[in-house]
Amino acid sequence: MDLTWTPEERAFREEVRAFVTAKLPADLRAKSFAHQRIKRDDYLRWHRILAEHGWGAPSWPKEYGGTGWNAVQRMIFEIESFKAGAPRLLPFGLSMIGPVLMKYGSEAQKDRFLSRMISVDDWWCQGYSEPGSGSDLASLKTRAERVGDRYIINGQKTWTTLAHYADWMFCLARTDPTAKAQRGISMILIDMRQPGVQVRPIKTLDGGTEVNEVWLENVEAPLENLVGEENNGWTYAKYLLGHERSGIAGIGHCHRELAILKSLAERTMASGESLSLSSRVRDSINRVEAQVLALEMMVLRVAADESTDPGPKASILKIRGSELQMELAKLQMQVAGSDAWPYDPEWMLAESEFHGPGPEYSAAAAAAYFDMRKTAIYGGTNEVQKGIIAKQIIGV
Amino acid sequence: MDFSYSVEQRMLTDSMHRLIADNWTRPKRRARQDSGKLDVSAWDSLVELGIGGLLVPEQFGGFGETPATMLAVHQELGRGLVSEPVISSAVMGVTLLAQSNNQALKQQWLSAHAEGEAILAVAWQEEGERDAQRPLSTRASEHQGGYQLDGKKILVWHAAGSDALLVSVVLEGETAVLLVPTHTAGVSIADYPTFDGSRAATVTFERVVVPVENLVAKGVLAQTSLTMALDFGIVALCAQACGAMAYLSDSTIQYLKTRTQFGQPLANFQVLQHRLGEMLIQSEMGLSMTYVAAIALSEPDARQRSRTVSMAKVEVAAAARFVGEASVQSHGGMGVTDELEVGDYFKRLTYLDLLLGDTNYHLQRMQDLDA
Repeated sequence: MDLTWTPEERAFREEVRAFVTAKLPADLRAKSFAHQRIKRDDYLRWHRILAEHGWGAPSWPKEYGGTGWNAVQRMIFEIESFKAGAPRLLPFGLSMIGPVLMKYGSEAQKDRFLSRMISVDDWWCQGYSEPGSGSDLASLKTRAERVGDRYIINGQKTWTTLAHYADWMFCLARTDPTAKAQRGISMILIDMRQPGVQVRPIKTLDGGTEVNEVWLENVEAPLENLVGEENNGWTYAKYLLGHERSGIAGIGHCHRELAILKSLAERTMASGESLSLSSRVRDSINRVEAQVLALEMMVLRVAADESTDPGPKASILKIRGSELQMELAKLQMQVAGSDAWPYDPEWMLAESEFHGPGPEYSAAAAAAYFDMRKTAIYGGTNEVQKGIIAKQIIGV
Repeated sequence: MDFSYSVEQRMLTDSMHRLIADNWTRPKRRARQDSGKLDVSAWDSLVELGIGGLLVPEQFGGFGETPATMLAVHQELGRGLVSEPVISSAVMGVTLLAQSNNQALKQQWLSAHAEGEAILAVAWQEEGERDAQRPLSTRASEHQGGYQLDGKKILVWHAAGSDALLVSVVLEGETAVLLVPTHTAGVSIADYPTFDGSRAATVTFERVVVPVENLVAKGVLAQTSLTMALDFGIVALCAQACGAMAYLSDSTIQYLKTRTQFGQPLANFQVLQHRLGEMLIQSEMGLSMTYVAAIALSEPDARQRSRTVSMAKVEVAAAARFVGEASVQSHGGMGVTDELEVGDYFKRLTYLDLLLGDTNYHLQRMQDLDA
């Protein structure tokens, strides 16, 4: 074991830092630090800047147009990009369906879709959850029937993040209604730009509309859009979740929010002095910083060992990552205090000048706190994750 | 001590319960929020039940009720997520004014308040001086037989719907409180929505002139009256939080009993049962602490009173955070939408920590009062 950063790793960190500093548009940076909403065009701009530099797919092998970076490099890239204020990379193509297609997709699917994911020529969304199937995903009811050379799909999906921009959905649907639970589910790629697909936004606690309900009514997909084998979709879905494990920890996000928290405490005055001087506030900041550093190392330890099944550690990343994202948002709101009172939806969208009573940097603290509650729910609730850990360590 | 409601308290809370069930449904609440203005008919319906005169002394046409009745009433208000300015006006405004020695002013405004003809707002906070109760930059001076005010107050809860502002000022080097009719020339109100769906404002005073008769208090009395108004407001706020926690716990139990996953109701899962148990523990302990603080409101030693009230604020805010977060989590994806009541309650419970002094402030106040 050698617990030092190599000269190459140090140099890589500098390279990423310099690149992001030079290339990240100032308005995107400002939005990230103010917790304003990131829009379609914002994501696309950043993806394309990276793609142009050859960094469009940081987690992909070179043969598919990725960077071929190892786990340490990937994490350095994530942390440095987030700390500089870059938007997150859309996970739907790069971290979700992309790796599934690499492993299980047909040659035709790889040729058709993979390279277009890197510069987001196709916008993907994930068709998993349904109104009656949240934690119990395997109970999903969306039906895909084989009719001639195509599938006819009927059903309803929900919590479909950014589906209102999507060109394609990777969808779990039941192809064998007689099979129980996980068996009889297939993964099918659906063109969202066809009649029969209806998308309705769901407004969330923070006032945002990132997630959607999607109705699929007699939607068609040619048979070649089946991923892998029919009725084997659950295997691919699990592979996808496993692959996503280090991303879901949100370590880059945590580092950025920690930096924002510190700066907020320094700038916020109470009783004539900076809140960062209050030992009450400083103690909680120092503790959360320690927890972020431990999470970072946890991510590295899990990611560095790609050959073996991470076992319960994948769930640890999900749980701890979400807990820290929620804690950081809560502390920011507490430091913002009464500066967090106002709610200004137009300013959140960067569509009006700021005219709140307090400083601009505190104005979205409550909305961010509300929004972060989702992290304990999506990607398998923390309760489900703890159940997974228990099963693995007890061996039942 | 007697924990059972008197006949009068029972009748009052029952009537409120019915009124709120009819008139504070989610669509009606939402419509009022969206209008951005005080719904006068909603306010009037509360006044008809006696909310306006509850804490007004009998000699001024009120009921001169005890903190215990206030506690019962505000639990109902919190349970129904009532956003009208009951705390800011009927608790804080009335308590502040009732401390005054200015009988004529009290006669005029307290009886108007009891009749539902006046809404008060307390303007006490200033920029850069988070939660400080001593005014620094809002100043008043004698001016042709009256007082002239200049300055700015921030975070004035429900200023826009008010008829008069009780403004803390520096007058001749001392703290004073002046009553300023909201529509006086030179008063400007920049009103904004808060994240829980109610309203607050920044209020600017530019060469505002009021008659000397509008002096509520000056010197030590001004300072102690402000603190007392704040303490009463905090206890009412804690009681509202307890009502909201009780409602939210009930609706979470119902949700877990009806939502099925893995072929059974979610309420069958032990991890969720334990969370419901903890929610009840937090709610009940929060309510008990609120009782303690309500008793302290009658405590003659102001330091002791404020110290106990701060304790309640800190404890109830923590309980409210737990119950709010736990309810959202128990509702899963539905909990983070804007489509269920759980979100509205969660936001109100979150807001209360940031109102009338946050946890950091009250921990500091306890420490200072210990010294």
